[in-house]
Amino acid sequence: MMSADVENGMVPSDATSEFLRRVYELPAGERLLSCIQCGMCSGSCPLGYAMEYTPRKMIAALRAGRIEDLYRSASVWLCVSCYNCTFRCPSGVPITDRLIGSLRGDMLSRGVGVPAELQAAFEKTTRYGNPFGESPKKRPDWTKEAGVDVRVLEEGDSAEVLWWVGCFPSYNKRNQRDTIALARILSALGVDFGIMGSDERCSGDIPCTSQGEEGLFFSLYEHNSDQLRNRKFKDLLVGDPHAYNAFKKEYPRLGTPLPVRHYTQYLAGWSPELRRVMKKELRAKVTYHDACCLGRRNAEYEAPRVLLESVPGLQLVEMPRNRENALCCGGGGGGNWLDSFIWQRTRVPLPMQRVQEAAKTGAQILAVSCPLEVPRFEDAVKTAGLEGRLGVRDVSDILAEALGLSGGPS
Amino acid sequence: MKVAAVLRQVPDVVEELVIGADGRSLSEADLMYVTNEADEHALEQALILKGRDGAHVVAISSGGDEARAALASAVAKGADEAYFAPVPFASRADNHHLAATLASVMKGAGYDLILTGVWASDQLDAGLGGLLAAELGLPYVGGLTSVSAPAESAKATVRKEFPGGRLGVMEVDLPAVLGIQSAENPPRYVPVSKVMQAKRSLQAQTIPPAASHEARVHLRKLTKPEAATRAEMISGSPEEVADRLVRILRERGVA
Repeated sequence: MMSADVENGMVPSDATSEFLRRVYELPAGERLLSCIQCGMCSGSCPLGYAMEYTPRKMIAALRAGRIEDLYRSASVWLCVSCYNCTFRCPSGVPITDRLIGSLRGDMLSRGVGVPAELQAAFEKTTRYGNPFGESPKKRPDWTKEAGVDVRVLEEGDSAEVLWWVGCFPSYNKRNQRDTIALARILSALGVDFGIMGSDERCSGDIPCTSQGEEGLFFSLYEHNSDQLRNRKFKDLLVGDPHAYNAFKKEYPRLGTPLPVRHYTQYLAGWSPELRRVMKKELRAKVTYHDACCLGRRNAEYEAPRVLLESVPGLQLVEMPRNRENALCCGGGGGGNWLDSFIWQRTRVPLPMQRVQEAAKTGAQILAVSCPLEVPRFEDAVKTAGLEGRLGVRDVSDILAEALGLSGGPS
Repeated sequence: MKVAAVLRQVPDVVEELVIGADGRSLSEADLMYVTNEADEHALEQALILKGRDGAHVVAISSGGDEARAALASAVAKGADEAYFAPVPFASRADNHHLAATLASVMKGAGYDLILTGVWASDQLDAGLGGLLAAELGLPYVGGLTSVSAPAESAKATVRKEFPGGRLGVMEVDLPAVLGIQSAENPPRYVPVSKVMQAKRSLQAQTIPPAASHEARVHLRKLTKPEAATRAEMISGSPEEVADRLVRILRERGVA
């Protein structure tokens, strides 16, 4: 029971003081103190209009000692970790990682206000190492359809490139097409590569997507870093920008530096070679959507564009909101599991807005480099009535077509 | 108010079940275990009683070693005590044996309520609750969706959803055994860090298996279901699939 003084905001609640103490101990956590209440975050947030507490107001509530108000609000769960606020904050406050991430962690450990859909994804990831609740043994099953040899690296094995496939690319039927495309490209380039098969688990892109389940992240980190340590490789290749962020930023923080590259960065290094062998013309207008975790979060805007521009016949056009201003697909921050929760409070899905922006450029293809975006944008294309006008394709799939590697098992 | 919740470990069907060489059991090496879903609801209902009426919750998990992980998770969620009932692999689907084992620690231990999931996926016969009640000489009612038992009260009020959309409200004399179909709210989530912490400090007492138990139901054969009719999988392009479908519907006189 809160005392009247706490209720009136005369003194901060114990929970608020405790929370702030913990945040200040985190790397750059004390920067929360330098918030100047300018509201840049709230204005930049693509879902700020639906938040009872925007990031600025959250900080104001904490300063007033009223964390309990945030527990009672859904605002904390509307964040889709697009990093617009963090990117634009003039005071360098790590809003997404520290404010939202820590608030979610706090609510998770108190068991207050956590949407059930997110809990289910956590439970499945804890138990099976993927958020779908699929069998860990079936993770490498897609390789049977690949039509090229994909080596599974056992402990002690080595390869030039260790390819971290990821959960969506391994299990999701639609994403598997792009996974197979990438396998064929690597194989056609003669790259010595291998995957970890069923020893791979979710990368734990949880801190980066600020879902707050730090304990789950840590247990995945422990499993994965052990598995990686037991194999030799020069490059760690990933297709999922969230995994890229986790391996680039979070794993080193815990003592495991990794030579990680997003597949678009890796293949951009091969672009002279690719240009030589790409025979098939792809006469299409294509617009590229920057994934938040690759773009704003990790400043990679060029590699996917270099690859797309190397495709004969392909004309790359830009949406008005591109690169650091790109609109989020709404799948980060656990948003992929919270679509209906967020929809009930916003009614205007982000992926729907984004595919409409893409269609307005006159492009026939919306190119993406994050596996979450393929199913999200394809669904949005259907609901927006753009079917037949706008296709959604991963960069790997476009490259494979230009290389003549698409179609049934070869 | 002292409440027990039974957490049976059952085969996780996310992994394919493999029939063992004897043709009568599942291959143990291929099995992964999970807490029976209805038992998760029994625990949740017990924790709701703790939150509402200050009940003392005892989690009892049965099965192999993986039952300890279920206990750690139960303690992290708020269970006050933990018991581990090891069950040999060969006896895992034997409710009579499990009821006798559990009754040995429950008898005279002052439980007001014993909650089990109404059924378990490895047996399907919803037998444990009733058998346990018979062993303990207590009343049993199953298929429940809520339990209310204020402290110091001699009765529990329970709700049961009947088929056809009717709800029954019943009073049960305490102590009693209850079969939970679903708790009043979905099983709560507990962060992994709390489970890890509970795992490290877990103090679970072991329940010795019931002695002199003679199985009187014997499993003869375990097989895959036999397909009664053949299903035809239609493959090809959407146009080909549509053509084939239309042809089939015409042949059958449906369209």
